[in-house]
Amino acid sequence: MDFKSDAFMYTVGALVVVFVIAQSVFFLVRAWRRAKELGIETSTLKKTVSSGALFTIAPAIAILATVLTLSGALGLVLPWIRLTVIGAISYEVPAAEAAIEAFGSTAGLSREVTDPTVFSTIAWVMTLGSIMPLVLVPFMLKKIQKGLGKVAAKNGKWADAMSAAAFIGLISAFIGRAVVGKGEAEIIGDGAGVMSLSALLSSMLFMFILQKIADKFQIKWLQPFAMPFSMILAMVVVMVLSLVLPESVAALEWRG
Amino acid sequence: MKNRTYANSVHFYGILWDITALALFLLIPVGICVHLGVWPKGEFVLKGLLPVAMLFYPTSVIEVFTYTPLLGAGGTYLSFVTGNITNLKLPCGLNAMENAGVRANSEEGEVISTIAIATSSIVTTLIIAVGVVAFSPVLPYLTDDNSVFAPAFDQVVPALFGALGISYFMKHWKLAIVPNAAIILLLLCSGKLATGVLIPVGVVISLLSAHLMFKKGWLDK
Repeated sequence: MDFKSDAFMYTVGALVVVFVIAQSVFFLVRAWRRAKELGIETSTLKKTVSSGALFTIAPAIAILATVLTLSGALGLVLPWIRLTVIGAISYEVPAAEAAIEAFGSTAGLSREVTDPTVFSTIAWVMTLGSIMPLVLVPFMLKKIQKGLGKVAAKNGKWADAMSAAAFIGLISAFIGRAVVGKGEAEIIGDGAGVMSLSALLSSMLFMFILQKIADKFQIKWLQPFAMPFSMILAMVVVMVLSLVLPESVAALEWRG
Repeated sequence: MKNRTYANSVHFYGILWDITALALFLLIPVGICVHLGVWPKGEFVLKGLLPVAMLFYPTSVIEVFTYTPLLGAGGTYLSFVTGNITNLKLPCGLNAMENAGVRANSEEGEVISTIAIATSSIVTTLIIAVGVVAFSPVLPYLTDDNSVFAPAFDQVVPALFGALGISYFMKHWKLAIVPNAAIILLLLCSGKLATGVLIPVGVVISLLSAHLMFKKGWLDK
Protein backbone atom coordinates (compact mmCIF):
# COMPACT_ATOMS: atom_id res chain seq x y z
CA MET A 1 0.00 0.00 0.00
CA ASP A 2 1.25 3.43 -0.92
CA PHE A 3 2.02 5.34 2.28
CA LYS A 4 0.61 8.54 0.74
CA SER A 5 -2.88 7.08 0.62
CA ASP A 6 -3.05 4.45 3.35
CA ALA A 7 -5.80 4.05 5.93
CA PHE A 8 -4.05 6.45 8.32
CA MET A 9 -4.01 9.26 5.78
CA TYR A 10 -7.67 8.74 4.94
CA THR A 11 -8.53 8.83 8.65
CA VAL A 12 -6.74 12.16 9.03
CA GLY A 13 -8.60 13.46 5.97
CA ALA A 14 -11.93 12.33 7.42
CA LEU A 15 -11.14 14.03 10.74
CA VAL A 16 -10.44 17.32 8.98
CA VAL A 17 -13.73 17.04 7.10
CA VAL A 18 -15.64 16.42 10.34
CA PHE A 19 -13.94 19.39 12.01
CA VAL A 20 -14.68 21.81 9.17
CA ILE A 21 -18.31 20.73 8.94
CA ALA A 22 -18.77 20.93 12.72
CA GLN A 23 -17.43 24.48 12.81
CA SER A 24 -19.56 25.56 9.87
CA VAL A 25 -22.74 24.02 11.32
CA PHE A 26 -22.02 25.66 14.69
CA PHE A 27 -21.81 29.14 13.17
CA LEU A 28 -24.64 28.49 10.76
CA VAL A 29 -27.07 27.54 13.54
CA ARG A 30 -26.12 30.52 15.71
CA ALA A 31 -26.34 32.99 12.83
CA TRP A 32 -29.69 31.51 11.80
CA ARG A 33 -31.11 31.97 15.32
CA ARG A 34 -29.80 35.52 15.51
CA ALA A 35 -31.26 36.28 12.07
CA LYS A 36 -34.70 35.19 13.28
CA GLU A 37 -34.34 37.47 16.33
CA LEU A 38 -33.46 40.32 13.99
CA GLY A 39 -36.66 39.66 12.10
CA ILE A 40 -35.17 38.39 8.86
CA GLU A 41 -37.67 36.19 7.04
CA THR A 42 -37.11 32.44 6.92
CA SER A 43 -37.58 32.52 3.15
CA THR A 44 -34.65 34.96 2.83
CA LEU A 45 -32.49 32.68 4.97
CA LYS A 46 -33.43 29.61 2.96
CA LYS A 47 -32.65 31.46 -0.24
CA THR A 48 -29.27 32.46 1.20
CA VAL A 49 -28.46 28.81 1.92
CA SER A 50 -29.60 27.49 -1.45
CA SER A 51 -27.93 30.21 -3.50
CA GLY A 52 -24.75 29.86 -1.40
CA ALA A 53 -24.74 26.12 -2.08
CA LEU A 54 -25.38 26.55 -5.81
CA PHE A 55 -22.76 29.25 -6.09
CA THR A 56 -20.24 26.93 -4.45
CA ILE A 57 -20.65 23.86 -6.67
CA ALA A 58 -18.59 25.14 -9.60
CA PRO A 59 -15.59 26.46 -7.63
CA ALA A 60 -15.67 23.34 -5.44
CA ILE A 61 -15.40 21.09 -8.49
CA ALA A 62 -12.60 23.35 -9.66
CA ILE A 63 -10.81 22.73 -6.34
CA LEU A 64 -11.39 19.00 -6.75
CA ALA A 65 -9.74 19.18 -10.17
CA THR A 66 -6.71 20.79 -8.53
CA VAL A 67 -6.57 17.99 -5.96
CA LEU A 68 -6.50 15.49 -8.82
CA THR A 69 -3.73 17.25 -10.71
CA LEU A 70 -1.54 17.41 -7.58
CA SER A 71 -2.27 13.79 -6.73
CA GLY A 72 0.20 12.54 -9.33
CA ALA A 73 3.08 13.68 -7.15
CA LEU A 74 1.58 13.74 -3.66
CA GLY A 75 -1.18 11.12 -3.66
CA LEU A 76 -4.82 12.08 -3.20
CA VAL A 77 -5.00 12.62 0.54
CA LEU A 78 -2.45 15.35 1.29
CA PRO A 79 -3.73 17.67 -1.50
CA TRP A 80 -7.26 16.89 -0.33
CA ILE A 81 -6.49 17.91 3.25
CA ARG A 82 -4.49 20.94 2.20
CA LEU A 83 -7.18 22.25 -0.15
CA THR A 84 -9.96 21.59 2.35
CA VAL A 85 -8.35 23.77 5.00
CA ILE A 86 -6.80 27.17 4.28
CA GLY A 87 -5.29 25.87 1.06
CA ALA A 88 -5.37 27.70 -2.22
CA ILE A 89 -3.64 26.43 -5.31
CA SER A 90 -1.46 29.51 -5.69
CA TYR A 91 0.00 28.72 -2.28
CA GLU A 92 0.13 24.93 -2.15
CA VAL A 93 2.11 24.37 -5.36
CA PRO A 94 5.00 26.74 -4.58
CA ALA A 95 5.13 25.39 -1.01
CA ALA A 96 5.37 21.77 -2.17
CA GLU A 97 7.90 22.64 -4.87
CA ALA A 98 10.10 24.58 -2.44
CA ALA A 99 10.00 21.67 0.03
CA ILE A 100 11.05 19.16 -2.64
CA GLU A 101 13.83 21.48 -3.77
CA ALA A 102 15.18 21.69 -0.25
CA PHE A 103 16.37 18.12 -0.90
CA GLY A 104 18.31 19.24 -3.96
CA SER A 105 15.88 18.01 -6.60
CA THR A 106 14.77 20.30 -9.39
CA ALA A 107 12.19 17.81 -10.66
CA GLY A 108 9.62 19.19 -8.19
CA LEU A 109 6.06 18.04 -8.60
CA SER A 110 6.69 16.45 -11.99
CA ARG A 111 7.85 13.28 -10.18
CA GLU A 112 5.90 11.13 -7.75
CA VAL A 113 7.20 11.63 -4.22
CA THR A 114 8.25 8.23 -2.90
CA ASP A 115 10.51 9.15 0.00
CA PRO A 116 8.61 9.42 3.32
CA THR A 117 11.07 12.04 4.61
CA VAL A 118 10.48 14.26 1.59
CA PHE A 119 6.75 13.70 1.93
CA SER A 120 6.68 14.66 5.61
CA THR A 121 8.78 17.76 4.86
CA ILE A 122 6.25 18.79 2.23
CA ALA A 123 3.45 18.32 4.77
CA TRP A 124 5.31 20.54 7.27
CA VAL A 125 6.11 23.29 4.77
CA MET A 126 2.57 23.37 3.39
CA THR A 127 1.16 23.55 6.93
CA LEU A 128 3.60 26.05 8.48
CA GLY A 129 3.46 28.32 5.45
CA SER A 130 -0.31 28.57 5.39
CA ILE A 131 -1.33 28.88 9.05
CA MET A 132 -0.38 32.54 9.43
CA PRO A 133 -3.95 33.84 9.05
CA LEU A 134 -5.08 31.53 11.85
CA VAL A 135 -2.42 32.99 14.10
CA LEU A 136 -3.39 36.55 13.17
CA VAL A 137 -7.18 36.38 13.10
CA PRO A 138 -7.79 35.57 16.79
CA PHE A 139 -5.65 38.52 17.90
CA MET A 140 -6.42 41.04 15.23
CA LEU A 141 -10.00 40.67 14.14
CA LYS A 142 -11.59 42.68 16.94
CA LYS A 143 -9.09 45.52 16.49
CA ILE A 144 -9.46 45.58 12.72
CA GLN A 145 -13.21 45.78 13.05
CA LYS A 146 -12.75 48.86 15.19
CA GLY A 147 -11.46 50.75 12.19
CA LEU A 148 -7.86 49.81 11.50
CA GLY A 149 -9.05 48.43 8.17
CA LYS A 150 -9.70 51.97 6.98
CA VAL A 151 -5.97 52.63 6.69
CA ALA A 152 -5.62 49.87 4.12
CA ALA A 153 -8.66 51.13 2.28
CA LYS A 154 -7.15 54.62 2.00
CA ASN A 155 -4.15 53.45 -0.02
CA GLY A 156 -6.30 51.04 -1.98
CA LYS A 157 -4.79 51.55 -5.43
CA TRP A 158 -1.21 51.19 -4.28
CA ALA A 159 -2.11 48.14 -2.15
CA ASP A 160 -3.87 46.53 -5.13
CA ALA A 161 -0.88 47.09 -7.39
CA MET A 162 1.53 45.72 -4.78
CA SER A 163 -0.45 42.58 -4.07
CA ALA A 164 -0.81 41.89 -7.80
CA ALA A 165 2.92 42.54 -8.22
CA ALA A 166 3.77 40.06 -5.45
CA PHE A 167 1.80 37.32 -7.18
CA ILE A 168 3.21 38.19 -10.58
CA GLY A 169 6.71 37.91 -9.10
CA LEU A 170 5.85 34.42 -7.82
CA ILE A 171 4.29 33.38 -11.12
CA SER A 172 7.28 34.67 -13.10
CA ALA A 173 9.55 32.23 -11.24
CA PHE A 174 7.53 29.28 -12.53
CA ILE A 175 7.08 30.68 -16.02
CA GLY A 176 10.82 31.29 -16.28
CA ARG A 177 11.54 27.69 -15.31
CA ALA A 178 9.07 26.36 -17.90
CA VAL A 179 10.73 28.47 -20.62
CA VAL A 180 14.46 28.19 -19.92
CA GLY A 181 14.95 26.15 -16.71
CA LYS A 182 17.43 23.26 -16.56
CA GLY A 183 16.34 19.90 -15.17
CA GLU A 184 18.25 16.75 -14.29
CA ALA A 185 19.97 15.55 -17.47
CA GLU A 186 18.79 11.96 -17.09
CA ILE A 187 15.14 12.73 -16.28
CA ILE A 188 12.67 13.49 -19.05
CA GLY A 189 9.83 15.86 -18.21
CA ASP A 190 11.47 18.08 -15.60
CA GLY A 191 13.44 20.65 -17.64
CA ALA A 192 12.21 23.35 -20.01
CA GLY A 193 11.46 21.87 -23.41
CA VAL A 194 8.83 21.14 -26.01
CA MET A 195 6.45 19.71 -23.43
CA SER A 196 6.76 22.36 -20.73
CA LEU A 197 6.42 25.17 -23.27
CA SER A 198 3.42 23.49 -24.93
CA ALA A 199 1.74 23.14 -21.52
CA LEU A 200 2.48 26.74 -20.59
CA LEU A 201 1.41 28.34 -23.86
CA SER A 202 -1.67 26.20 -24.46
CA SER A 203 -2.90 26.78 -20.92
CA MET A 204 -2.42 30.54 -21.40
CA LEU A 205 -4.28 30.41 -24.68
CA PHE A 206 -7.19 28.37 -23.29
CA MET A 207 -7.49 30.67 -20.28
CA PHE A 208 -7.44 33.73 -22.51
CA ILE A 209 -10.17 32.34 -24.77
CA LEU A 210 -12.35 31.04 -21.92
CA GLN A 211 -12.17 34.33 -20.03
CA LYS A 212 -13.02 36.28 -23.16
CA ILE A 213 -16.00 34.01 -23.81
CA ALA A 214 -17.17 34.27 -20.20
CA ASP A 215 -16.89 38.06 -20.26
CA LYS A 216 -18.37 38.62 -23.69
CA PHE A 217 -21.40 36.38 -23.29
CA GLN A 218 -21.76 37.05 -19.56
CA ILE A 219 -21.54 33.34 -18.71
CA LYS A 220 -21.20 33.50 -14.94
CA TRP A 221 -20.81 29.78 -14.30
CA LEU A 222 -17.84 29.60 -16.66
CA GLN A 223 -15.73 32.06 -14.67
CA PRO A 224 -14.66 29.71 -11.86
CA PHE A 225 -14.15 26.89 -14.36
CA ALA A 226 -11.88 28.85 -16.67
CA MET A 227 -8.74 27.99 -14.73
CA PRO A 228 -9.25 24.24 -14.10
CA PHE A 229 -10.56 23.80 -17.67
CA SER A 230 -7.48 25.53 -19.09
CA MET A 231 -5.19 23.39 -16.93
CA ILE A 232 -6.86 20.16 -17.93
CA LEU A 233 -7.07 21.12 -21.62
CA ALA A 234 -3.37 22.03 -21.59
CA MET A 235 -2.59 18.65 -20.04
CA VAL A 236 -4.65 16.99 -22.77
CA VAL A 237 -2.61 18.88 -25.38
CA VAL A 238 0.59 17.57 -23.77
CA MET A 239 -0.80 14.03 -23.73
CA VAL A 240 -1.79 14.19 -27.41
CA LEU A 241 1.56 15.72 -28.40
CA SER A 242 3.42 12.98 -26.56
CA LEU A 243 1.48 10.41 -28.58
CA VAL A 244 1.73 12.01 -32.04
CA LEU A 245 5.14 13.72 -32.03
CA PRO A 246 8.24 11.64 -32.77
CA GLU A 247 9.93 10.86 -29.48
CA SER A 248 13.04 12.88 -30.32
CA VAL A 249 10.89 16.01 -30.59
CA ALA A 250 8.55 15.30 -27.68
CA ALA A 251 11.43 14.61 -25.30
CA LEU A 252 13.46 17.61 -26.40
CA GLU A 253 14.57 19.69 -23.43
CA TRP A 254 16.80 22.50 -24.63
CA ARG A 255 18.77 22.87 -21.46
CA GLY A 256 18.72 19.33 -20.09
CA MET B 1 -28.13 44.72 24.82
CA LYS B 2 -28.82 41.45 23.03
CA ASN B 3 -26.97 42.92 20.03
CA ARG B 4 -23.67 43.12 21.89
CA THR B 5 -24.10 39.64 23.25
CA TYR B 6 -24.26 38.12 19.78
CA ALA B 7 -21.22 40.03 18.48
CA ASN B 8 -19.22 39.14 21.58
CA SER B 9 -20.20 35.50 21.41
CA VAL B 10 -19.13 35.34 17.75
CA HIS B 11 -15.68 36.57 18.75
CA PHE B 12 -15.49 34.27 21.78
CA TYR B 13 -16.42 31.12 19.86
CA GLY B 14 -14.59 32.25 16.75
CA ILE B 15 -11.29 32.55 18.61
CA LEU B 16 -11.90 29.21 20.33
CA TRP B 17 -12.57 27.43 17.01
CA ASP B 18 -9.65 29.09 15.24
CA ILE B 19 -7.15 28.17 17.93
CA THR B 20 -8.49 24.60 17.96
CA ALA B 21 -8.15 24.54 14.16
CA LEU B 22 -4.58 25.82 14.42
CA ALA B 23 -3.69 23.05 16.90
CA LEU B 24 -5.39 20.41 14.78
CA PHE B 25 -3.66 21.51 11.58
CA LEU B 26 -0.27 21.45 13.29
CA LEU B 27 -1.01 17.93 14.49
CA ILE B 28 -1.43 16.72 10.89
CA PRO B 29 2.27 16.84 9.93
CA VAL B 30 3.15 15.61 13.44
CA GLY B 31 0.81 12.65 12.92
CA ILE B 32 2.28 11.93 9.49
CA CYS B 33 5.80 11.91 10.95
CA VAL B 34 4.83 9.61 13.83
CA HIS B 35 2.98 7.29 11.47
CA LEU B 36 5.80 7.11 8.90
CA GLY B 37 8.48 7.01 11.59
CA VAL B 38 10.50 9.79 9.96
CA TRP B 39 11.26 13.29 11.17
CA PRO B 40 12.54 15.72 8.57
CA LYS B 41 15.56 17.79 9.58
CA GLY B 42 14.61 21.30 10.66
CA GLU B 43 16.99 22.80 8.13
CA PHE B 44 15.13 21.15 5.22
CA VAL B 45 11.79 22.41 6.47
CA LEU B 46 13.25 25.89 6.93
CA LYS B 47 14.86 25.83 3.50
CA GLY B 48 11.51 24.94 1.95
CA LEU B 49 9.54 27.32 4.12
CA LEU B 50 11.69 30.42 3.72
CA PRO B 51 10.92 31.36 0.08
CA VAL B 52 7.18 30.81 0.47
CA ALA B 53 6.91 32.36 3.92
CA MET B 54 8.61 35.52 2.63
CA LEU B 55 5.70 36.02 0.29
CA PHE B 56 2.79 34.40 2.10
CA TYR B 57 3.26 35.73 5.64
CA PRO B 58 3.07 39.37 4.53
CA THR B 59 0.22 38.62 2.10
CA SER B 60 -1.77 36.90 4.83
CA VAL B 61 -1.52 40.06 6.95
CA ILE B 62 -2.85 42.06 3.99
CA GLU B 63 -5.59 39.48 3.40
CA VAL B 64 -6.77 39.61 7.00
CA PHE B 65 -6.96 43.40 6.80
CA THR B 66 -8.71 43.61 3.44
CA TYR B 67 -11.19 40.76 3.73
CA THR B 68 -12.32 41.20 7.33
CA PRO B 69 -14.46 44.29 6.73
CA LEU B 70 -16.16 42.49 3.83
CA LEU B 71 -16.68 39.06 5.38
CA GLY B 72 -17.95 40.10 8.80
CA ALA B 73 -16.71 38.50 12.04
CA GLY B 74 -18.37 35.08 11.73
CA GLY B 75 -17.51 34.89 8.06
CA THR B 76 -13.88 35.74 8.80
CA TYR B 77 -13.46 33.09 11.49
CA LEU B 78 -14.91 30.51 9.10
CA SER B 79 -13.18 31.67 5.92
CA PHE B 80 -9.65 31.65 7.26
CA VAL B 81 -10.07 28.06 8.43
CA THR B 82 -11.32 26.75 5.10
CA GLY B 83 -9.43 29.08 2.77
CA ASN B 84 -10.20 29.69 -0.90
CA ILE B 85 -11.36 33.16 0.06
CA THR B 86 -10.93 35.18 -3.14
CA ASN B 87 -12.28 32.53 -5.46
CA LEU B 88 -15.12 31.31 -3.25
CA LYS B 89 -15.94 32.63 0.22
CA LEU B 90 -15.74 36.34 -0.55
CA PRO B 91 -17.86 36.32 -3.74
CA CYS B 92 -20.30 33.94 -2.05
CA GLY B 93 -20.73 36.22 0.99
CA LEU B 94 -20.98 39.39 -1.10
CA ASN B 95 -23.47 37.75 -3.43
CA ALA B 96 -25.67 36.65 -0.51
CA MET B 97 -25.70 40.09 1.09
CA GLU B 98 -26.59 41.68 -2.21
CA ASN B 99 -29.43 39.21 -2.84
CA ALA B 100 -30.81 39.72 0.66
CA GLY B 101 -30.46 43.50 0.34
CA VAL B 102 -28.38 43.99 3.48
CA ARG B 103 -25.22 46.06 4.05
CA ALA B 104 -21.86 44.47 4.87
CA ASN B 105 -21.33 46.42 8.06
CA SER B 106 -24.77 45.89 9.58
CA GLU B 107 -25.71 43.05 11.89
CA GLU B 108 -28.09 41.72 9.22
CA GLY B 109 -25.13 41.65 6.84
CA GLU B 110 -23.09 39.81 9.45
CA VAL B 111 -25.61 36.98 9.90
CA ILE B 112 -26.42 36.63 6.19
CA SER B 113 -22.74 36.50 5.26
CA THR B 114 -22.08 33.95 8.03
CA ILE B 115 -24.93 31.74 6.81
CA ALA B 116 -23.74 31.90 3.19
CA ILE B 117 -20.10 31.25 4.03
CA ALA B 118 -20.94 28.38 6.39
CA THR B 119 -23.10 26.78 3.68
CA SER B 120 -20.33 27.28 1.16
CA SER B 121 -17.75 25.66 3.48
CA ILE B 122 -19.96 22.62 4.05
CA VAL B 123 -20.73 22.14 0.35
CA THR B 124 -17.08 22.58 -0.72
CA THR B 125 -15.84 20.12 1.89
CA LEU B 126 -18.43 17.51 0.92
CA ILE B 127 -17.83 17.84 -2.82
CA ILE B 128 -14.06 17.45 -2.45
CA ALA B 129 -14.43 14.51 -0.06
CA VAL B 130 -16.91 12.68 -2.30
CA GLY B 131 -14.71 13.38 -5.33
CA VAL B 132 -11.61 12.03 -3.62
CA VAL B 133 -13.36 8.84 -2.57
CA ALA B 134 -14.79 8.41 -6.08
CA PHE B 135 -11.44 8.93 -7.81
CA SER B 136 -9.23 6.96 -5.43
CA PRO B 137 -9.72 3.56 -7.19
CA VAL B 138 -8.74 4.87 -10.65
CA LEU B 139 -5.96 7.22 -9.65
CA PRO B 140 -3.08 4.69 -9.69
CA TYR B 141 -3.84 3.94 -13.36
CA LEU B 142 -3.90 7.63 -14.24
CA THR B 143 -0.58 8.52 -12.67
CA ASP B 144 1.41 5.34 -13.41
CA ASP B 145 4.71 6.11 -15.19
CA ASN B 146 3.71 4.08 -18.24
CA SER B 147 0.17 5.41 -18.61
CA VAL B 148 -0.65 7.75 -21.49
CA PHE B 149 -1.47 10.39 -18.86
CA ALA B 150 2.01 10.39 -17.35
CA PRO B 151 3.51 13.09 -19.65
CA ALA B 152 0.53 15.30 -18.82
CA PHE B 153 1.08 14.92 -15.07
CA ASP B 154 4.75 15.86 -15.60
CA GLN B 155 3.56 19.25 -16.85
CA VAL B 156 1.07 20.12 -14.09
CA VAL B 157 3.09 23.11 -12.93
CA PRO B 158 3.50 24.91 -16.30
CA ALA B 159 -0.18 24.16 -17.06
CA LEU B 160 -1.21 25.74 -13.77
CA PHE B 161 1.00 28.80 -13.94
CA GLY B 162 0.19 29.45 -17.57
CA ALA B 163 -3.50 29.82 -16.75
CA LEU B 164 -2.91 31.64 -13.47
CA GLY B 165 -0.29 33.87 -15.07
CA ILE B 166 -2.31 34.98 -18.06
CA SER B 167 -5.25 35.98 -15.85
CA TYR B 168 -2.92 38.30 -13.90
CA PHE B 169 -1.06 39.50 -17.00
CA MET B 170 -4.30 40.45 -18.75
CA LYS B 171 -5.22 42.72 -15.86
CA HIS B 172 -1.73 43.98 -15.03
CA TRP B 173 0.40 43.57 -18.14
CA LYS B 174 2.60 46.53 -17.24
CA LEU B 175 3.55 44.89 -13.94
CA ALA B 176 4.39 41.59 -15.65
CA ILE B 177 7.17 42.71 -18.00
CA VAL B 178 10.02 43.46 -15.59
CA PRO B 179 9.83 40.38 -13.30
CA ASN B 180 9.37 37.91 -16.17
CA ALA B 181 12.26 39.41 -18.16
CA ALA B 182 14.46 39.44 -15.05
CA ILE B 183 13.76 35.78 -14.19
CA ILE B 184 14.39 34.60 -17.75
CA LEU B 185 17.69 36.52 -17.89
CA LEU B 186 18.69 35.05 -14.55
CA LEU B 187 17.90 31.52 -15.72
CA LEU B 188 19.79 32.04 -18.98
CA CYS B 189 22.86 32.77 -16.88
CA SER B 190 22.25 29.97 -14.39
CA GLY B 191 19.67 27.45 -15.58
CA LYS B 192 19.66 25.28 -12.47
CA LEU B 193 18.39 27.98 -10.11
CA ALA B 194 15.48 26.46 -8.22
CA THR B 195 12.09 28.11 -7.74
CA GLY B 196 12.95 28.47 -4.04
CA VAL B 197 15.54 31.06 -5.08
CA LEU B 198 13.59 32.44 -8.02
CA ILE B 199 10.41 33.18 -6.02
CA PRO B 200 11.90 35.70 -3.57
CA VAL B 201 14.01 37.28 -6.34
CA GLY B 202 10.96 37.55 -8.62
CA VAL B 203 8.77 38.94 -5.86
CA VAL B 204 11.27 41.59 -4.75
CA ILE B 205 12.00 42.72 -8.33
CA SER B 206 8.30 42.78 -9.09
CA LEU B 207 7.44 44.80 -5.97
CA LEU B 208 10.23 47.32 -6.60
CA SER B 209 9.27 47.84 -10.22
CA ALA B 210 5.56 48.07 -9.36
CA HIS B 211 6.30 50.66 -6.67
CA LEU B 212 8.43 52.73 -9.07
CA MET B 213 5.81 52.52 -11.81
CA PHE B 214 3.13 53.56 -9.32
CA LYS B 215 5.18 56.56 -8.17
CA LYS B 216 5.86 57.58 -11.78
CA GLY B 217 2.15 57.36 -12.52
CA TRP B 218 2.66 54.71 -15.20
CA LEU B 219 -0.04 52.51 -13.78
CA ASP B 220 -2.77 55.11 -14.28
CA LYS B 221 -4.69 54.48 -17.42
